[in-house]
Amino acid sequence: MRLSSFSRGVLAAVLAAAVAGCSSSGTSSGAASSGASSGTIKIGIDLPLSGADASIGIPTENGALLAIEQAGRNGFAGGAFKLEPSVLDDAVQGKHDPAAGAQNVQTFISDPAVLAMVGPFNSNVAKSEIPLTNDAGLAQISPSNTNDGLTIGDAAKKLRTAHPDVNTYFRVCTRDSKQGSALAQVAYQRLGFKKVFVIDDNETYGKGLADVFDASFRGLGGTVLGHEHITSNQVDFKSLLTKVKSLNPDAVFFGGNTSTGGGLIRRQMGDVGLAQTPFLGGDGISDAEFEKQAGDAANGSYMTVASPDVTKIPAAKSFINAYQARFKSNVGPYSASAYTAAKIEIAAIEKAIKDNGGKMPTRADVLKNIASTTNFDSPIGKVGFDANGDTTSPVLTLLHVVNGKPQVVDVIQLKS
Amino acid sequence: MDVFFQQLINGLSLGGIYALIALGYTMVYGIIELINFAHGDVYTLGTFFSLAILTLLGVDSVVHGPALIGVLAVTILGAMILCGLTGVIIERLAYRRLRNAPKLAPLITAIGMSFILENLMLYWRGPSPVPFPQVIPNPQFALGAVTIQAKQIIVVLLAVVLMVVLQTFVYNTRLGKAMRATAQDKDAAQLMGIDINTTIALTFLIGSALAGAAGFVSGMYYGSTWFFNGFGAGLKAFTAAVLGGIGNLAGAMLGGFLIGLIEAMTTQFISDQWSNVVVFSVLVLVLIFRPSGLLGESLPNKV
Amino acid sequence: MRLIAPLTARLPPALRTPRAGTALAFAAALALPFIGRNGAFTNFLADAGAFVLLALGLNIVVGFAGLLDLGYAAFFAIGSYSYAMLASPQFGIHLPFWVLLFVASAIAAIFGILLGAPTLRLRGDYLAIVTLGFGEIVPQTFLNLSQWTGGPNGIGSLDQPVLFGYRFGFNPLPYYLMVLGLIALAAWLANNLRTSRLGRAWMAIREDELAAAHMGINTTSTKLAAFAMGASFSGLAGCALASKLQLVSPDQFMFNVSVFVLAMLVLGGMGNIPGVIVGSLILSALERFILPQTTNFMHNVGLNVDLTNSRFLIYGVILVTMMLFRPEGLIPSRQRNAELHAGQADRRAAAAEGELLTEVIH
Repeated sequence: MRLSSFSRGVLAAVLAAAVAGCSSSGTSSGAASSGASSGTIKIGIDLPLSGADASIGIPTENGALLAIEQAGRNGFAGGAFKLEPSVLDDAVQGKHDPAAGAQNVQTFISDPAVLAMVGPFNSNVAKSEIPLTNDAGLAQISPSNTNDGLTIGDAAKKLRTAHPDVNTYFRVCTRDSKQGSALAQVAYQRLGFKKVFVIDDNETYGKGLADVFDASFRGLGGTVLGHEHITSNQVDFKSLLTKVKSLNPDAVFFGGNTSTGGGLIRRQMGDVGLAQTPFLGGDGISDAEFEKQAGDAANGSYMTVASPDVTKIPAAKSFINAYQARFKSNVGPYSASAYTAAKIEIAAIEKAIKDNGGKMPTRADVLKNIASTTNFDSPIGKVGFDANGDTTSPVLTLLHVVNGKPQVVDVIQLKS
Repeated sequence: MDVFFQQLINGLSLGGIYALIALGYTMVYGIIELINFAHGDVYTLGTFFSLAILTLLGVDSVVHGPALIGVLAVTILGAMILCGLTGVIIERLAYRRLRNAPKLAPLITAIGMSFILENLMLYWRGPSPVPFPQVIPNPQFALGAVTIQAKQIIVVLLAVVLMVVLQTFVYNTRLGKAMRATAQDKDAAQLMGIDINTTIALTFLIGSALAGAAGFVSGMYYGSTWFFNGFGAGLKAFTAAVLGGIGNLAGAMLGGFLIGLIEAMTTQFISDQWSNVVVFSVLVLVLIFRPSGLLGESLPNKV
Repeated sequence: MRLIAPLTARLPPALRTPRAGTALAFAAALALPFIGRNGAFTNFLADAGAFVLLALGLNIVVGFAGLLDLGYAAFFAIGSYSYAMLASPQFGIHLPFWVLLFVASAIAAIFGILLGAPTLRLRGDYLAIVTLGFGEIVPQTFLNLSQWTGGPNGIGSLDQPVLFGYRFGFNPLPYYLMVLGLIALAAWLANNLRTSRLGRAWMAIREDELAAAHMGINTTSTKLAAFAMGASFSGLAGCALASKLQLVSPDQFMFNVSVFVLAMLVLGGMGNIPGVIVGSLILSALERFILPQTTNFMHNVGLNVDLTNSRFLIYGVILVTMMLFRPEGLIPSRQRNAELHAGQADRRAAAAEGELLTEVIH
């Protein structure tokens, strides 16, 4: 009597899973155990690295990798420990996925060599990760999450139910509420736009920023002629822009990234006759890719970057040179942020090792050091974290595209 | 009111591209009752091939003078030939074996083919949109308060011209007759001495070539192309083919323009974020209430 | 499976019955997380298990009833959002998890009927396209109605399950055990459905709808039942994943998820429950472990190949190759094998397995 196909199949499945399981437990090999005086220490990196998100995720990853490589070259922890990145992709089928992010964080948590992590890139992925890092006490610094609810308010509290008094989540970039309202002020007061049309990409960053901008702009006395959301993978914006043109705005505000349509929208603005109407966006369109995709229509665009004027910070210049030499490509809008996040973590780990008498520190030690970061020198200025994990004294640089290149126009201090 | 007419122009231009893609869908479905999922990606390949040809010719912006005609001819024909060949290869590799299999099999294979093509294009030019040269000087004509661009006229013109050429071919030539016969009854056509393998390959050749033309036109119209273009455009073009009446060439054209107009008008009078939902709802409604489409005949259920 | 037969032949006769085999498999599955002893592995198992539920559900629609559904992710979305709206701060409703298993399944089943109804008169490929259309409409609608669904942010802070006062927390183990229980329930249900009158009606419709109608089968209610039952499983999967991730967002339910689940059926064996489970686990392993690990390995060796960017290619190749060379899947059901290789199947073996009814019809 043979097994029915039912149980044969289930057995096979279980065998397959067991094989997969054995292959996975290999990730913990070579790791130093707490208290050891040598071994490998890893910094986890969780970013979207494939598909459409790759164009913004990979440059970000490179920033962090550069920091880790430089630390290795400059003698990390006096050479006692080896520092390695542990890179995981949270993009599934080309789009950032919260479940994949959660899986990646679980992988980091299960690996005792991982003492801190950089990421995630997207705010909705952060929502699935923060409860896990909070539960495990693993520090994470995001280079780019902007959603307010990750650090302040009721929503943030609900993400920290495991240890409500501990914060494991930090970010080096400004929140939507600050960037959005600053952009509104720039638009209304500094650039003098009175009526704008708002477009966003209907994603967590873009919509979040656009909603805040919309409300703040109206609060200042301006008129928002319309607020539309584009669909993902949209390539034809001519109908939308024709509608915009008919309303005669002073400017068009875009909440979103180059990779979700920023460049294409600007290019098609030129096609429908809106080339002379200024285009305004946040750091999502501050990469070189934007100018490439917008083509001739790029001129007349304004964007803000959540860092001081990089041309005036020597650390920024050397970062850009090192990045270009290492990766032979332009920096992305968040490369410097990821670099900074990784550097902060590296410094925290080194200090923890020293405080522990040269032995392997715990995640809690590293977390403590990260939380007390103030005035950290970086390519994006002096970075520190407040009690919520947000960056202190944020600053916004306003850029204007002239002759195909962005020029610094103004630097705006944001009130804490 | 002016906005309405302006959106009309937008819709017709967008629709022209859909119409060209829809022609390919409708031809293939008419002859072997297969929804060629990969057709949308052949259209995207058309833009990529055009881009490659233009780069080879050294064109990176507008071409002036008599050279323009040469460039256009070479690029459009080149894209059409290359895409046509791609279509024939796909049919030969993936669909021919499954001609008599249950409908599930070729449909799933087509989806798989679509994925493969998309990934190949991802390797070719990367995940971000790629700029496409202007090629044509783009003077604008004012008609009252409405502006029409030369590019928009060309899109619509090309779609109509190609459809007329296709219609002539299908109804006035022997090969076309063979196609119609095969579409009507494969076995009978074979009995009449028609080589259905060649006829079907020819159908794919022509359908894919049209998609290639659509590709060039789209690249020129938007100024950029992207590996994932084909998915949405393909789905909407299929909606257009169904709307017009699957198997009916004029129907594909009509359906294409209609879908383009529906998209433009939805964006104008409702909002952009609902335009896809509306288009796909049209698809669903047409398939429920009038599956034969606007210009199609009611096909009896074969017993 | 010729590989396992010699192994199982060595087992004592008592263990060679189907029931013992299932129990063995189940026990092995229970033991897995303790063997792996790795939180990330258990997490993977829990997620993969939820996708097994989805595959079992789609199997009823596509595998049993032969209705090609290309938009199954829509039901998954409905199941997940049902849980999210009824167990979170969004509307202040906090139904218990175990109640929501029923509620979400019921809601998904209702939508299965609603979305299946328009397809009743359509032929195979048109039906596929309509379901594809719904697969696009549903997540976009969830995205657009941001007041109720949170828009792109989705709905977060979802309740975790509570069992007799024990709250599930952040350890993936209880979720895995819960999912395992759901899989057992779903597989048992699906198996019973398959051998019931309804199951045979599904198979009759799949093979020849017109003939089935002439034999007295009410094709309308049979098809709707397939959609409803298939969709209800997605309610189970939705609850499991939503409560574990504590978050739902629209981009978890795009077209690629529908194709992913369909590929599981194609790979494993459409219509065959163990085949579907195996196919599902293989693809989940490919997606979450094999591709990323191989990429990592290649990076370490110095090859700059990014396999995670080749997902589409690999799935496409799987779909095309399977359909061309082994459309019945890795672990075929005898009946499907017979259908797809008409005339090549071993009719005696089929009759011996008790599918005499099909023989008679043919």
